[in-house]
Amino acid sequence: MQWSARRVAPYRPESRDRRSRRQWPPAGAFLAAALITAYLPSGAQAGIGFVLRRTLLRPFIVLQEGVAAARLRATRVEIMRGQLDSLVALVSTQAALAEDNRQLRDLLGLSQRLGSTFRAATAVRPGTNGSESVFLLDVGTRDGVAVGAPVVNRHGLVGVVREVHAASAVAMDWSHPDFRASAMLADGSGYGIVENRRGASSEENRLLLNGAAYHERVPEGTRVLTSGLGGVFPRGIPIGVVLGLAEAQAQWRKSYWLRPMVELGSITHVLVAVAVGTAPDVEDDLSAAWPVQADSGRAPSAAGVDPR
Amino acid sequence: MRSRVRVWIVVASLVVLHFVLHVGFGLGPAAPDLLTVALLIGARETGLGTAAGLGLAFGLLEDALSVLSFGANSVAMTVVGTAGGVSRDLFVGDSLVFLASYFWIGKWVRELLRWVVVREELRHPFVDQILVQAPIGGLYAAAVGVVIVTLSGLWREAPR
Repeated sequence: MQWSARRVAPYRPESRDRRSRRQWPPAGAFLAAALITAYLPSGAQAGIGFVLRRTLLRPFIVLQEGVAAARLRATRVEIMRGQLDSLVALVSTQAALAEDNRQLRDLLGLSQRLGSTFRAATAVRPGTNGSESVFLLDVGTRDGVAVGAPVVNRHGLVGVVREVHAASAVAMDWSHPDFRASAMLADGSGYGIVENRRGASSEENRLLLNGAAYHERVPEGTRVLTSGLGGVFPRGIPIGVVLGLAEAQAQWRKSYWLRPMVELGSITHVLVAVAVGTAPDVEDDLSAAWPVQADSGRAPSAAGVDPR
Repeated sequence: MRSRVRVWIVVASLVVLHFVLHVGFGLGPAAPDLLTVALLIGARETGLGTAAGLGLAFGLLEDALSVLSFGANSVAMTVVGTAGGVSRDLFVGDSLVFLASYFWIGKWVRELLRWVVVREELRHPFVDQILVQAPIGGLYAAAVGVVIVTLSGLWREAPR
């Protein structure tokens, strides 16, 4: 009896401490996996992200596309109502047809001015932590979109495509710290690099025209366009308007604050440059697609009209 | 309904609701961080190993949408999940004050860890992000978490 008591351990419920100790190895493994994930090559990270977006997160992305489409339809109804009111007013007052003709021509949209070198796309903002400067597009390689393709809307440059898949793409906007664009003044008199400068809060993010020649004085309100140098963006896409001098360095260069042409909060539909064959060459001048608006320096637009 | 089943139903519902609000409707910071709330609730129910795995899974889901700071949410959520699992052994936690503090600290620590792990160029200023926005987000998460735990009947049920 004494022998069996020594050989057969009495049954007791597992202690809480023991259970807790048993949980540490898997917890450590998951922590290690998380750390490895953070330092994986960007290609592997993009692969994981793509798989999750195409599977578990797909319903939510589709939902946002649906919500964006519903908002657009609502906006179009408002525009049509406005146009109807305008027509009624026109018929009743016999106002000058020339002025109305000009306004209606404005509504034709940027996509017609740019032609087939750009594809219309819906921009989806993830709205989660860490995705502030990133948006998803519903066009991909099968539409001719490639990494580095510029993304524009009716006001100017929105950002650039960073990752492309068959039917989707990931792009970053101008508020991302990695955003850079070779730029020039609208009259071609000066060149520089436009980059993002983070403010004390995300609402204070601004654009900076860096590397402008010291001897050159750039007046406030001057439009800044992409220069076509560097082989990323075609020439002539509006980026911003000069607000004032930011700094002058050692009498050899100046930098200027810019007011961005594109307000990022309102981005739902954009145009993306397509690749190969019909793509705009970086030396093409696209500035004619964004004629100057007298009051603000922005491209003309009808309220609520999307670029396509 | 058994308590454990109820907890997992609440956790799953919060995860779905989080992505519906943040991604589906694009509400951004206007919507509470239900993913962290779900993780903290789940971590109190499971051991720290499962909680860490849950944190890694939730973090990967968020990272899939952040692209350029991939991994930051995974690390932050895994550590928070682990810490939540450890807290289960240290605190019984049957008061509303404890619950509110638990959610507030969990959310704040998550933001702090994410700020530490993310690339330096992607960081917002420390004061703005960690000392202003994170505590406010923590209060929001705590309020929502307490309401959810109370309404779902999970409160008063001591963790096993």
